[in-house]
Amino acid sequence: MSAESTTIPAEVHGHVDADHVHGHEHHHEASWLETYIFSQDHKTIAKQFLITGIFWGIVGGFLSVLFRMQLGWPNDTFPILESLLGKWAEGGKISNEFYLSMVTMHGTILVFFVLTGGLSGTFANLLIPYQIGARDMASGFINMLSYWFFFAASVVMFSSFFIQTGPASGGWTAYPPLNGMRDLAINKGSGLGFDLWALAMTLFVVSSLTGGLNYVATVLNLRTKGMSMMRLPLTVWAFMFTAVLGILSFPALLAGVSLLEFDRLLGTSFYLNNIVVNGHLLDYKGGSPILFQHLFWFLGHPEVYIIILPAMGIVSEVLSIHSRKPIFGYRAMVVSIMAIVIISFLVWAHHMFVTGLNPNLAAVFVLFTLLIAVPSAIKVFNWIGTIWKGSLRLNPPMLFAIGFVSMFISGGLTGLMLGNSPIDIQLHDTYFVVAHFHIVMGVAAFFGMFAGVYHWFPRFYGRFMNDTLGYIHFYITLIGGYAIFFPMHFMTGLPRRYYTFANFETFNNFNFLTQFISIAAIIVFLAQLVFVANFFYSIFKGRRVDVQRTEEDGHTYGNPWDATTLEWTAPIERIHGNWAGEIPSVYRWPYDYSVNGKPYVSQDTPLAPGEIEHK
Amino acid sequence: MVAFVTFALIVLFFTILVLIGKANELSEDLAGKGMNYDSKSKWNGYFLLAFIILFFISIVYQIRILAPIMIPKPASYHGEVTDRLFYVTLFFMSIVFVLTQTALFYFAYRYNQSKNKEAYFYTHNNKLEVIWTVIPSVVLAVLVVMGMRAWFQIFDVESRDRNPMVVEVTAKQFQWMVRYPGLDGKFGPRIIDKEHITPTNELGINFEDPSSHDDFFADKLVFIKNKPVLVKLGAQDVIHSFYLPHFRVKMDCVPGIPTQFYFVPKFTTEEMREYLKTQPWWNTTNPETGEPRWKTFKYELACTEVCGRSHYGMQKEVVVVKDSTEYMEWVRKQTAIYVPAATAAPADSAKAEGGSTSGGKDAKVVSELVRKK
Repeated sequence: MSAESTTIPAEVHGHVDADHVHGHEHHHEASWLETYIFSQDHKTIAKQFLITGIFWGIVGGFLSVLFRMQLGWPNDTFPILESLLGKWAEGGKISNEFYLSMVTMHGTILVFFVLTGGLSGTFANLLIPYQIGARDMASGFINMLSYWFFFAASVVMFSSFFIQTGPASGGWTAYPPLNGMRDLAINKGSGLGFDLWALAMTLFVVSSLTGGLNYVATVLNLRTKGMSMMRLPLTVWAFMFTAVLGILSFPALLAGVSLLEFDRLLGTSFYLNNIVVNGHLLDYKGGSPILFQHLFWFLGHPEVYIIILPAMGIVSEVLSIHSRKPIFGYRAMVVSIMAIVIISFLVWAHHMFVTGLNPNLAAVFVLFTLLIAVPSAIKVFNWIGTIWKGSLRLNPPMLFAIGFVSMFISGGLTGLMLGNSPIDIQLHDTYFVVAHFHIVMGVAAFFGMFAGVYHWFPRFYGRFMNDTLGYIHFYITLIGGYAIFFPMHFMTGLPRRYYTFANFETFNNFNFLTQFISIAAIIVFLAQLVFVANFFYSIFKGRRVDVQRTEEDGHTYGNPWDATTLEWTAPIERIHGNWAGEIPSVYRWPYDYSVNGKPYVSQDTPLAPGEIEHK
Repeated sequence: MVAFVTFALIVLFFTILVLIGKANELSEDLAGKGMNYDSKSKWNGYFLLAFIILFFISIVYQIRILAPIMIPKPASYHGEVTDRLFYVTLFFMSIVFVLTQTALFYFAYRYNQSKNKEAYFYTHNNKLEVIWTVIPSVVLAVLVVMGMRAWFQIFDVESRDRNPMVVEVTAKQFQWMVRYPGLDGKFGPRIIDKEHITPTNELGINFEDPSSHDDFFADKLVFIKNKPVLVKLGAQDVIHSFYLPHFRVKMDCVPGIPTQFYFVPKFTTEEMREYLKTQPWWNTTNPETGEPRWKTFKYELACTEVCGRSHYGMQKEVVVVKDSTEYMEWVRKQTAIYVPAATAAPADSAKAEGGSTSGGKDAKVVSELVRKK
């Protein structure tokens, strides 16, 4: 299979694409629809994921602005909200029901649709074929399906905003029994809204699995000549292991959600037992709500690594390139990714220390949870080692990569508290947790994603994003990100997902702080729109990549960041099949920067006589 | 109209920003240094350095402003253990935090390309990497050991008091049902079937069993200082979570699965107020009551597992009294759930019913005899 897929595209596509560029389309009737919509080209699919991800990012971020308005000014009304949300904000005040819907959808959208679909989908698609030297993914068709399942999931999820009973409102974790019964008396969002949620997540899992299988197959089978595994850039390692994580863990979510729908629609009792509503015992017997939590977190914890590993890969690459220095401890970086992947399957119950789990079980999960900090720490030290004595080009991607490391440290360290079960008793489901995971997998992953977008924008569009706007975006996001989430650590003990704290003497002391956080959140949201404006403006009007050479066939080449990896050996024009002629062969590792008196040596440059390859 | 103007202003603002960005880019191109990052790196180096300094200053400021208003010291014995563990972890964390953040931002400043033209080709250092693998491993091992000792101390059934005070808390949307066993110290058993669980007897208490006759629902949780408490937890409809922030107690209430939490309260409500009186922030005036904050301090029970639209409203007061005399005084004021002529009694008529108290008195004599043994 691998032999076929390596040779066939090389001949067919390589030929056809030369024509594409010249505007003739004789051989292959690539209609507009096939080129831009139902495209099987990894670069187009990457763009589709990215733009869908940006759309979801705006929606998810905007939801947070809305519920931060409620949290910051619980006693005020905003008439504009009523015109926007109708009955969900009667009198300009968001209803408590819709507040929970927004929190639920904010989590679902950002975790799955932006930081999984948008991040992995974009960069794995763009970079895997380019960086391993392949014409395209192992199966372009399945790759296309992966996007369209994602699109279908997006349509279903978005449509749930427009139904009578509102979107799912039982938390992104979808715990039964709150989400386990279609009983509107218990929870309005547990009606049709949750069914749509479950359907959308099912489609999403299909998208993630088809995408993931393709990534793994491509990395294992379609590497160009000379591209041994230990010559892969860290991005590719990260994307491949992300895909492995997804393949092994998403089915557990699918199983969990399917059983949940059985309970809801067919009256089974997988998760329900002795439910009493208004004094009436329901007929459910013998199930366990905790079972769902096990299934959910068996995905849920690897999921946070599905989010952060691609960001780590991107940041490793960006830090090295813009430091003009090899990544420090390449092997340790690869091994620590593997260690994270393995251990991430053994930590899920740290989300469940206070569910009444057998206390003896907690010992195992505390051990592995704190153990996973070791490979993470190694990565942090290695990143710092990478910029040490570099010659740092502090452009927007580099700044975001540095910001990523800073956020990852800040958010990762508090994990040591949450992962230790006795401390978690107090911190579980409080703002401390909110602060922790938003910094470590929310803001940090976004920083990784931004680093990637600014860095590879020239690869996507042949143009640069605007630096000035990039700097504005970076500093507001860095300062604002910390302004939102750092003070939340002091709200230790304040429960999450509260509509207001006014009912509690204990929690009601932080009004000025919640207001401050809300203002910061709104500013940070607006700063993201600077990014969006910059992105779309630069697609059409950004500064062009300098052409360093033009080949006879008319293709132009440029390597804007002086990087060693193969994606910059392909023409700026982004042709189908990636390289106009033969696929380059690889002779060295991807981190030969500032070596032997040269600023960089591309991976496709043969070793000079007498040169020893770095191993 | 306001919405439209706001929208228009925002669009205008972003347009201006984009134009400024473009103008900067053009002027760079005119000056012929389009892709030259020397001066940009220089400025951003300073910005990053300034950021980290201001960040550290802001953390000190946050500690000064926010630490005093955090939930105060633990009011239970195990809470002191978990808090200590928190601070030990915080100590190690802070060292790592300061060192790594300083290194990160200082290097970003020190080695930006305007200050350091030539990068140093340096791929790895096995000795260094072993060191920074081993040190975190050792620290983490220490934390795991400390954590597990604390954990098994909290959940060690063997070492517990054999005769703790038992309170049964059942959560439902959106309230807590707190049941005390009454003077006999024994809960009436519950039977989970459709015959026993009715709108007037949601818990399915078997009133044929005499031990149920003096059980009562309380409008607050009352504990006794230094008297071990075992809270037996359950839920009717969805998962809730029993959370006593001051006592560092949290345990989910799961429908169909009983859970529990055992702890020992250390300070009475009064003692806690006395302590808070010594804290400057607690002496400031509470704008809502017009009195110093410590005066209205109270322990509270909250729900920490999202349970539906009024999740944020599941509040109940918690009181710790100084001894069993004070406790018994409170118990005697409570009204039993059981109504002798239970044939057609709606729930709220139970309060008006005086007959159950006499039954309670009899039971009290028995229970006090039992306790003396």
